[in-house]
Amino acid sequence: MSTTTEHTDAPASLPPQPAPDVDTQGFWEATANGRLAMCRCINPQCRLWMMPPLDACRKCAAPTNFEEVSGQGSVYTFVVQRQAAVSGYLDNLPYVVGIIELDEQPGLRLPGRIVDIIPEDVHCDMRVQAALEPLPGGDYVVPVFRVLH
Amino acid sequence: MKQSLHDAAVVGIGRTNYSRKSGRTPTSLAAEACRAALVDAGLTPADVDGFTCFDTGSSSASASAVAHAIGVDDLGWCLNVYGGGNIVTTTVMGAVTAVTSGQAEVVVAYRVLASNTRYGKNLGVIEVDGEHQFAGPHGYLVPPQWFAMFAQRHQHEYGSTSEDLGAIAIQERLHASRNPHAVGKDPITLDDYMNSRWIAEPFRLFDCCYEVDGAVAIVITTSDRAKDLPHPPVYVLGAADSNRDGGSVVQFSDMTTMFSAGTAPKLWKRTGLQASDIDVACMYDCFTFTVMATFEDFGFCEKGEVGDYFRAGRATFGGDVVVNPHGGLLSEGYIHGMNHHYEAVLQLRNEAGNRQVPNAQTALVTSGAGPFGGALIYGTAATL
Ligand SMILES: [Zn+2]
Repeated sequence: MSTTTEHTDAPASLPPQPAPDVDTQGFWEATANGRLAMCRCINPQCRLWMMPPLDACRKCAAPTNFEEVSGQGSVYTFVVQRQAAVSGYLDNLPYVVGIIELDEQPGLRLPGRIVDIIPEDVHCDMRVQAALEPLPGGDYVVPVFRVLH
Repeated sequence: MKQSLHDAAVVGIGRTNYSRKSGRTPTSLAAEACRAALVDAGLTPADVDGFTCFDTGSSSASASAVAHAIGVDDLGWCLNVYGGGNIVTTTVMGAVTAVTSGQAEVVVAYRVLASNTRYGKNLGVIEVDGEHQFAGPHGYLVPPQWFAMFAQRHQHEYGSTSEDLGAIAIQERLHASRNPHAVGKDPITLDDYMNSRWIAEPFRLFDCCYEVDGAVAIVITTSDRAKDLPHPPVYVLGAADSNRDGGSVVQFSDMTTMFSAGTAPKLWKRTGLQASDIDVACMYDCFTFTVMATFEDFGFCEKGEVGDYFRAGRATFGGDVVVNPHGGLLSEGYIHGMNHHYEAVLQLRNEAGNRQVPNAQTALVTSGAGPFGGALIYGTAATL
């Protein structure tokens, strides 16, 4: 379970910012350096990818690190957000958020906006490619997804 | 001697009015519901030695504070459970097992929601940690979005439609129209449903529960003591839970199903019952799709058939099973599923008035949506 830090005044104009911990900071360090990397077990007999990241593999308890991924995957599912529901997305509507299943491992999923497409053209199992974009607010770079040609 | 679930019973139910804005504190609302449940049970705060509630961390009305507020001086058993709809079964079963294990004799379990807690939007967030740090920055952070993701995948794999979700919303609203306590009493048509505004497509306004201020409490005591109390005792025939994929609404493996795919087989096995044995189904319905997925998982019909099932009148009076006769979270009001327990007990006591399910002997009550949740089955004395 995670927590959110809120202030109760006016709606925030920036999107929610990540609050990394020691287990997740490798993801954000990679995106800041232009790479999309996911948490992976280093045990040669295991090599499990895992999300959310852990410092020890959930299958074999071996150490993990962050390894670059292709950024290619399929849209498992998605929503079209047409009303303001989350800070930072008050007037930039509609937008599409997908849950992307990455090619590296069945069930390895990453949420992200699907951009440069009209919502009506998005469909489940559509092939997509990740790209990295700065998150408004200054400190973080996030993956977004575009149709893979 | 082996403890039995049947050594405890629900003997009292209480609730406040449900409204959009009560102007009252969570403690005030919770205290009113708990007092009402004790009056209903023929007991007083002096009889109470156990208290429990669940909360997602936004309310100040802890079990110890509410017990104190109604005049209970000392609790021998007090449990504050962290969670939402997923944890209702666990909370109620905590009270049951506190009684059957002799840790307490009279336990009050409640849930309160007030205007300081609304889940549909979250416009003040500045930082997110844990798993949500990967989703929140994309404007993906609130429950309607999470479960719309599930509905979208179901539509893709099984061809379910907006009209199918609408059939659930329409049926529950019709049930609520007979319930004076409901906040959403005006029947809706398919046109009303289809024309309601998008919340998180594929969810429209009428796919979403009706958030209100209010509280519900139930009282549980020993079966021995229950014999001398005013109402017929209602028993728990069995309970089960399922928590998968770390409780993640991103990683949950098969989003055409929910927790109920794990909960249902356990519950049927533990009780020896099956879907056709259930008279009243209080299905947790934070969203219409929660009913669709859990109804399939519990085996009331095949995948993709829920819309037809509801349109054919099989989920209402005179059908196969009455689903949410009170109107559910969608139309009676969102008390996080505790109101489903109130309704189930009312029905099994044969006290539901103009919405009474004839000869109701068994009630399934589910709780939760997505990756985690539970369910229990209540029965009358005749079912033991
Ligand atoms: Zn491993």
